[in-house]
Amino acid sequence: MSGVSLSRSGFLLVLALAAAALALLEHGGPAAGRGAFLVTLVFWTSIAQGSVAVVAVTDLTGARWSAPLRRELLAAVPLLPFLPLLFLLLWPLSDLYPWAAAPTAWLNRPFFLARNLALLAATAGAAQLFARRSLRRDPARVRFAIAYLLLYVTCQSLVAFDWVMSLSYPWVSTMFGAYFFVEALYAGLALAGMLFLLSGRRRPGEATAAWPAARRDAGLLLFGFSILWGGLFFAQFLVIWYGNLPEEVRFIAVRLSASPELCAFFPAACFAVPFLALLSARAKGSAAVLCAVSLSVLLGLLAEKLLFIHPAAPVRFGGLLAENALLLALWLLAMRSRERLLPGDGEGNAAGREGRSGEGC
Amino acid sequence: MRPETLDNINASARVEEDVLAALGRPGWRYLAGVGLCALLALMLFTLWGGLIFRGLGLSGKNHPVGWAMLITNFVFWVGIAHSGTLISAVLFLFRARFRTSFNRSAEAMTIFALMVAGLFPLIHLGRVWVFYYLLPYPSERLIWPNFRSPLVWDVFAVTTYLIVSLVFFYVGMIPDLAVARRRLPGVRGRIYGLLSLGWQGTLRQWRHYGRLYLFLAAFATPLVASVHSIVSWDFAVSIVPGWHTTIFAPYFVAGAIFSGTAMVITLTIPMRRWLRLEPYITVDHFEAIAKILLFTSLIITYTYLVEHGLSLYGGNPFERDQYLYRALGDYRPLFAVMVICNSLLPLTMFIRRLRRSLAWLFILGILVNIGMWLERFVIITASLARDYDPYAWGSYNFSVVEFGITIGSFGLFFLLFLLFARLLPVLAVTEIKQGAEERHEEAGMQGASERGSEAYP
Repeated sequence: MSGVSLSRSGFLLVLALAAAALALLEHGGPAAGRGAFLVTLVFWTSIAQGSVAVVAVTDLTGARWSAPLRRELLAAVPLLPFLPLLFLLLWPLSDLYPWAAAPTAWLNRPFFLARNLALLAATAGAAQLFARRSLRRDPARVRFAIAYLLLYVTCQSLVAFDWVMSLSYPWVSTMFGAYFFVEALYAGLALAGMLFLLSGRRRPGEATAAWPAARRDAGLLLFGFSILWGGLFFAQFLVIWYGNLPEEVRFIAVRLSASPELCAFFPAACFAVPFLALLSARAKGSAAVLCAVSLSVLLGLLAEKLLFIHPAAPVRFGGLLAENALLLALWLLAMRSRERLLPGDGEGNAAGREGRSGEGC
Repeated sequence: MRPETLDNINASARVEEDVLAALGRPGWRYLAGVGLCALLALMLFTLWGGLIFRGLGLSGKNHPVGWAMLITNFVFWVGIAHSGTLISAVLFLFRARFRTSFNRSAEAMTIFALMVAGLFPLIHLGRVWVFYYLLPYPSERLIWPNFRSPLVWDVFAVTTYLIVSLVFFYVGMIPDLAVARRRLPGVRGRIYGLLSLGWQGTLRQWRHYGRLYLFLAAFATPLVASVHSIVSWDFAVSIVPGWHTTIFAPYFVAGAIFSGTAMVITLTIPMRRWLRLEPYITVDHFEAIAKILLFTSLIITYTYLVEHGLSLYGGNPFERDQYLYRALGDYRPLFAVMVICNSLLPLTMFIRRLRRSLAWLFILGILVNIGMWLERFVIITASLARDYDPYAWGSYNFSVVEFGITIGSFGLFFLLFLLFARLLPVLAVTEIKQGAEERHEEAGMQGASERGSEAYP
């Protein structure tokens, strides 16, 4: 895809084609195995919203490590308006949810659709406004970062409670929402970890003197997040396992018996690998180690989403691969076209470039 | 290193003088404060003595509310103990500079709060002389504590936290004790000399000190989360409605940081004024710590919404009734005050003018701690009062003895803090000097950067 850079209208056309392809993939095939689309949507929503959230958090706290990657992380912004469109494709699949047969005041199809669409759209809008100000280094960006983060937390909580948890209705875990928005931030950080290698190679001519220190900070944050993720995972697991209430522990027991390999894989990929690999200071500064660890985290998060959804909504693995490949291609396209797609053209771009090379000072 | 100029030497000397001035002769106000707090602490121990000799019938505990005000106090004080390590260790790791204004007071607060917290399980035991049953010691009867019980996890977690916090507090203070040794004459100077463990400030010593301090900060940070998570599991691993909920661990950790930060604000605002530390603890520093208060308040509010919302979601009648009971039942006034203090009033921190108003911050700090104490009280008593079986329902009213013990615990805590403020350096003198040097160097680098150089700090 090297050399491809689309204008806004061209990118919109590609998004429309991708939506049509996804609709065909999802609704043209057999009825069984339609959980793949939900897994893909949950995973890419967390990556797209999480990478913008990383920039928002760093702008809010005055952290400078993300400055060289700000534009790359914000490349997900043009993808965010695509998410409500993809969510609409979920509408015919809503009979997957056990509550669809006996709707309640909160869990009924029209309200489910309306609140999630509204939140996805509002988050996308807030991301646009924030990105414009962040790239221009506008002092008002802090307010927009707060607004985006509040919407992001609400949206990811609904992704957790509505899209995933309600598949196993009436199973309840109060931590699910917090777990999801922390995971999305973790995914955003992992993306940043990969970008240090991928983006650094593509920009040999630019001033990258600031990168090793920024990489070490990103490595430190990934290491810290691996501990945070491990703590949250354990806190949720322990309470359910120890309580051993049939209506609660069934969620874990079903998944453990259905796929013990996946159950072992995702804690290893999200906790053990980053924790052990990033223990040493040298590893934290290495672009290759950071990239490998980040890849492990992202794969672990995908595996976990698959495990959450698969027993309740069967997944076709071919469809899962194809849909994720399509979304990956879209993200790469957005990355390649970021100079033309992102808000703040002209003056803003100049500010952005200045930020990448000089702001880390 | 910054070159030793006359200006630098004078500035360093002034920091030392200003901070160590607090170690001078106390005034009558200070002595009156110490006397009042000592009386309250004495009341605590007298009432505890009464409970030992007359029995736990003097408390309001009953069936089914067997955990009540005493355990509320335990959770509250362990929570207060959290911000000490958070401000010191986490902000050190995140290179937040405003930390130096608060870290020493916060670390001292951690230790005193843990000491007070540790009293409450002992008071709650009734027969305090058998406290050692909690410890895993080899016994000829081969009786061991139940290692699957979170109450035993508590013993290990709180003890570990106390030890690490003590070491962290002491290690951080060693260079400042050496300054006190140099500056104070006579016996006091010799005592500080002994406590400073022969610190000379050589490069080798600083290198070892830096590594140890970083290691302790990195070690203490997950410990902060683990201790209050374990306290939360005292409740969450049971199957009592309102207690058995997965969000309890992060909720308790955030709540602990919230109340601890409020206590740091409550303590440092008057301390700053009485010890004339305005140049070192600035309004900007308070604004930064107010943002932590706001952030943790938002987490707490999110948790309230999720807990109460999901109790209506799943169709579990016990959960639904428990949360309705908390909000609308016997404890509704306490619940309302809790929501106002913990969720609504901290929203004022979005307004910059209020974040920078020390009078409002001081009041808010007190109100937040009232709210957080009530939150623990409501969680603990309401769930026990309305369990599954209506036949076993009950209610709880605290007794005068429990109330007196609670007030006395505040007296003991403030007494320890007042003694600390006169006996040890309340600010990290060497870190403040180091921070000033770094800012000076950065200003120099910025000047160089403007002339074309680029570097990442």
